[in-house]
Amino acid sequence: MKEREVVIGHRLGLHARAAARLVELSSKFQASIVLFRSDPTNPVEADARSILSILLLSAGYGSKVGVRASGVDEDQAVESICEYLAG
Amino acid sequence: MTDERVIHGVVGSVGIAVGRAVRTFDPLFVSFNVKVRPDQVRKEVERFRHSVEKSREQLKRMQAELRRKSGPESSFLIDAHLLVLQDRLFVDRIIEKIENESINSEWAIQQVSDDLLQAYDRLDDEYLRERRGDLEDIVRRLLHNLQSKPLPPLKKLPYDAILIGKIVPPSTLFELRTQRVVGLATETGSPLSHTAIMARSLEIPAVMGVTALSEVSSGDLLIVDGERGVVICSPSEETLAEYKERDRDGRKLKKKAAASASAPSVTEDGVLISLGANINFSEEVRSAITSGCESIGLYRTEFDFFREGKQLDEESLVADYSLVLKTAKGAPVTFRTIDVGIDQKSWDGVNPNFGVRGLRFCLENTDVFKKQLRSLYRASVNGRMRILLPFVSTVDDLDSASEIIMAVRRELDLKRQPYDPRVPIGVMIETPAAAQTCDLMASRVDFFCLGTNDLIQYYLVIDRSDQSVVHLYNPFHPAILRCLHQIFSLLRPTGKSITVCGEMAADPPSAAVLLGLGFTSLSVNLGAYPRIQRMIRSVSMAQLRDLAGQILKMQKPKEVEEKVRAIVYRS
Repeated sequence: MKEREVVIGHRLGLHARAAARLVELSSKFQASIVLFRSDPTNPVEADARSILSILLLSAGYGSKVGVRASGVDEDQAVESICEYLAG
Repeated sequence: MTDERVIHGVVGSVGIAVGRAVRTFDPLFVSFNVKVRPDQVRKEVERFRHSVEKSREQLKRMQAELRRKSGPESSFLIDAHLLVLQDRLFVDRIIEKIENESINSEWAIQQVSDDLLQAYDRLDDEYLRERRGDLEDIVRRLLHNLQSKPLPPLKKLPYDAILIGKIVPPSTLFELRTQRVVGLATETGSPLSHTAIMARSLEIPAVMGVTALSEVSSGDLLIVDGERGVVICSPSEETLAEYKERDRDGRKLKKKAAASASAPSVTEDGVLISLGANINFSEEVRSAITSGCESIGLYRTEFDFFREGKQLDEESLVADYSLVLKTAKGAPVTFRTIDVGIDQKSWDGVNPNFGVRGLRFCLENTDVFKKQLRSLYRASVNGRMRILLPFVSTVDDLDSASEIIMAVRRELDLKRQPYDPRVPIGVMIETPAAAQTCDLMASRVDFFCLGTNDLIQYYLVIDRSDQSVVHLYNPFHPAILRCLHQIFSLLRPTGKSITVCGEMAADPPSAAVLLGLGFTSLSVNLGAYPRIQRMIRSVSMAQLRDLAGQILKMQKPKEVEEKVRAIVYRS
């Protein structure tokens, strides 16, 4: 399992367009990928391949999000997802 | 005798449409809970998968066509829908429900989507809450396909239709594009909604947030005025004739346009009038320029600034503004800095028209203001830019704004970022305070614009969104004529240019009054361009000046209006 935190640098946050691309990107990996907000009052997890759960994560520009992947290509997965999210 | 009613909303897509109301049904059907026999569960899952597959095919076809017709811009709307159809959170949960509870697909879809829709409603983010519309749209499609019914059979409409409804899903709008759907009005929604984006890319006039629409029934005659952001129910013969004319004008402009529109607007006695176009969205620049408009006299930047419910970042703004200037091909573009508070009814009952809006907002939120100014200056090397400050009421406001502008320029100098240091800065005269003191502001700015809509609203103390007083709104009121005359007299000695860009400039009789009062630069919505150009070419300046002298002495708005109409429509 591999985990890293990233600040959303995407101009509109994880909105329809960005979320759609994230799903496409995540689908290229075999590892299971989860995005999570570690905000203690409101912890939320989202499946990076589910556009509905990503939208419900409601991650705006500048917010901190954790990326966790587990599987054979977890390293590349975390790296490319973080790179994409950082904008 | 009809009882014409004007209901206010917000512009979603510009243009004029006249047609009969067709109410779209609530996109969510009522589903019933039906138990499935255990040995039929697999078949039921198959039935659901089949409707998913069918929906996917329909969406793919839509996407391809949309991409071909309006470019990649709006086809992303469909991407999101397609992804929902392969979303495990959605599809797998529905299948699980069918299997575990032995229920019909419709009921499973309904339950899963209800949970998700409620989750959307709990979000703080306005833009994301709007996205529940996408999910509803998908659910509606799945339910239709499950029942193997074709989507609403609105084919072969016998008349021009205006779709109305609480919400009209973007895909419904798209599917009906080949029908005689000429306009759209929705009770909810905003220019940010995907429906509005779809309407703009299909060039269907739309007004959103028209709450009082619930009283309209299918079959009622409606006018959608996507220039003023209003819907007119049961219009009188007179109003109808006026709008049909405007609608024809709009189509004419779209079709052949260039030849006559690009010719200068000169009065019968040879006075050249400058005529620009007002736009709300950057996509409109192209059609304004290809239609032959000589300038963009007013670009209301707040709609694009807050596109998709979030502020764009600086790089995106620079890219957008640069594209606007390049598309304008050397024609000057007046960028009005964001005027927020406008057209938004506040929930707590406070009237934003008297609160923090325009420059007031920018001076309280200098980060936002600076970001926009930096973006504007950085884009300025790509064409002829002018920057216009809205809702200015004191010289102090203006001084504060100038300081911020200078600070932004110093910052760019330090970073050695290129910009055009000669970008003219102007003031929008739209408060009574600015009307009275515009001469005091003249030494601090390069040009003026006159926003008559707000000026009239503040001068005559009429909230234009208030049905009970809207009939009192009258540009021919002697108070307004005197005010306009005063502004012109105060500014003439300063030599600064003034462009009138309110609705007064877009209506031939009142525009003629403006010319008579001395204003020789007007900017109007694209739809009004041909009729104002025609008016200019049919009048003589000498006669209009004489007319202005006469009406300034009149006592009643009605007398003034009759006199003006007699002259303008005589020919």
